[in-house]
Amino acid sequence: MQNRGFRKGLAIFWWLTLIFLYAPLLVVMVFSFNSINTSARWGGFSLRWYERLLHNDVVIGAIGHTLLLAVISSIIAVILGAMIGYGLYRHRARKLGLLIVLIYLPIVMPDIVFGISNMAFFVQINRLTGLLSPGLGTMVIAHVTFQIPFVALIVYSRFVGLDATLFDAAKDLYASPWQRMLHFILPTLKPALLSAFFLSFTLSVDDFVISFFTAGPESATLPIYIWGAIRRGISPEINAIATLMIASVALVAVLSLLFNRRRA
Amino acid sequence: MSQVDVVWRRRRRLETRHLLVSVLPGALWIFIFLVLPSAYLMSVAFMTNGGFGQPQLPLTLDAFRSLAGFGFLGWSPGNLYTLWRSIFQSVISLGLVVLVAYPVAWYISLCRPRLRAIMLLAVVVPSWTNQVIRAFGWMNLLSPGTPLSTLAENMGLIAPNMGLFPSDFAVTLGLVYNFLPFMVLPLYAAFEKLDHAQIEAARDLYASPLRTFFVAVLPQTLPGLLAGSVLVAIPAFGMYVIPELLGGGRSQMLGNLVASQFGEAANWPLGAAGALLMLLATLLGLVILRRMGRRLGGGTEMVI
Repeated sequence: MQNRGFRKGLAIFWWLTLIFLYAPLLVVMVFSFNSINTSARWGGFSLRWYERLLHNDVVIGAIGHTLLLAVISSIIAVILGAMIGYGLYRHRARKLGLLIVLIYLPIVMPDIVFGISNMAFFVQINRLTGLLSPGLGTMVIAHVTFQIPFVALIVYSRFVGLDATLFDAAKDLYASPWQRMLHFILPTLKPALLSAFFLSFTLSVDDFVISFFTAGPESATLPIYIWGAIRRGISPEINAIATLMIASVALVAVLSLLFNRRRA
Repeated sequence: MSQVDVVWRRRRRLETRHLLVSVLPGALWIFIFLVLPSAYLMSVAFMTNGGFGQPQLPLTLDAFRSLAGFGFLGWSPGNLYTLWRSIFQSVISLGLVVLVAYPVAWYISLCRPRLRAIMLLAVVVPSWTNQVIRAFGWMNLLSPGTPLSTLAENMGLIAPNMGLFPSDFAVTLGLVYNFLPFMVLPLYAAFEKLDHAQIEAARDLYASPLRTFFVAVLPQTLPGLLAGSVLVAIPAFGMYVIPELLGGGRSQMLGNLVASQFGEAANWPLGAAGALLMLLATLLGLVILRRMGRRLGGGTEMVI
């Protein structure tokens, strides 16, 4: 009896927590369709903020930067990270302590320290050599740095899940390293690589702090634009952009999950 | 004999080359673009502040002195307040996160296995959205004139027309919101392995529900609780976006202090000293996690 009451209490608490978790996102989404310029009152349904977005060149540019940054950095990170994941697996018998520390470093480092150290470093390099002036290039560099570990871990765990004798089988059949790569490793890795790509993509779009500190004046991404717009004063236009971002991130995340699920 | 040796050695050399070829590009990338910059930042913490916020050479501990509040005009408590606020906020929000996450993780572990995955997903999904947008959502919910603010006003919790945002309260709320999944996941992992026989035993011995909890449930979930605490408190300590957006000027935390030193306040060494402090806090958290992992068994694997 007592047990049932306890469970019921937990259930109520669970639903309250769900409301807590989704309320801020729902408010943003609902008020993006508000016809008046406030988030305190509902004035009727309208698409005017979305319409206004279509004519806002800065926002269109920011969307372009966000996607370009996410795609380029994810491609580089998937290549470098997959190589690390493969190396980690093939040589997992060895002592790789320092390498492991290096791989976990981008994950554990606080965002703000990550972003500022990159900014300070790029500024000094730029002063000395003229290279690496802040812009999309520096942002790609920083994003790849924090994406690599996640790719490496995904690829590594995919390899661990594989039957190790398959490698020997390929070797016994006199497959050259290149053939092994093309006919065995890449096909089996494909789901993991796609999943890693989508995760990297999401991480890139999701990031604000590191982008903020490595961005140049001409390379603002959507989160940076939203940040600036919030600082200038709340406008329902932000609700519309935010809603688009929530929807697209959810979409990509679901895709990533699907690819991850299929390999199991 | 020697021939075997030669073959073995050549094979070993090939293996090393293979390792280097596969791992080096990525490792070098992280080394050049994260290890070197961090090392540079750490060295800046020991330099002198030049006129335009640029670090200059005589190596000093000035940055740490000014972090402790000593400036041109003598001692002022501003920076120490900021530090104290960072510690206070991360501790308070950690406590609240535990209060919310514990029942949630417990409930998830009591549901049907198929449902559990979906429930965990439901907890994690909001954190996929950009931090700035989530904070903006709370700004919408808490600003003056919204139902929540009006309610708090009518209950006499806040002054009229002030709104719940910007305030220290809004920062705490934002932190709890942001870090809830980081506590739910390790706690759930602990609850999933819960040995129900211990609870039965406690009940059979006529332990009160409270006693049962403290003797049979809490000790079993302690590893998850501790792992989650590190995952919540350490990042909360260095939070930048939430205090900046939800707190306004009076609720700055260490992350904001650091960022402003590299921007408008223009004192790189001071900012770098703050960053060094944050890194030390992170390091401390990792050491605690590792130790716990060893003592309690399986503490770190849940995290990593």
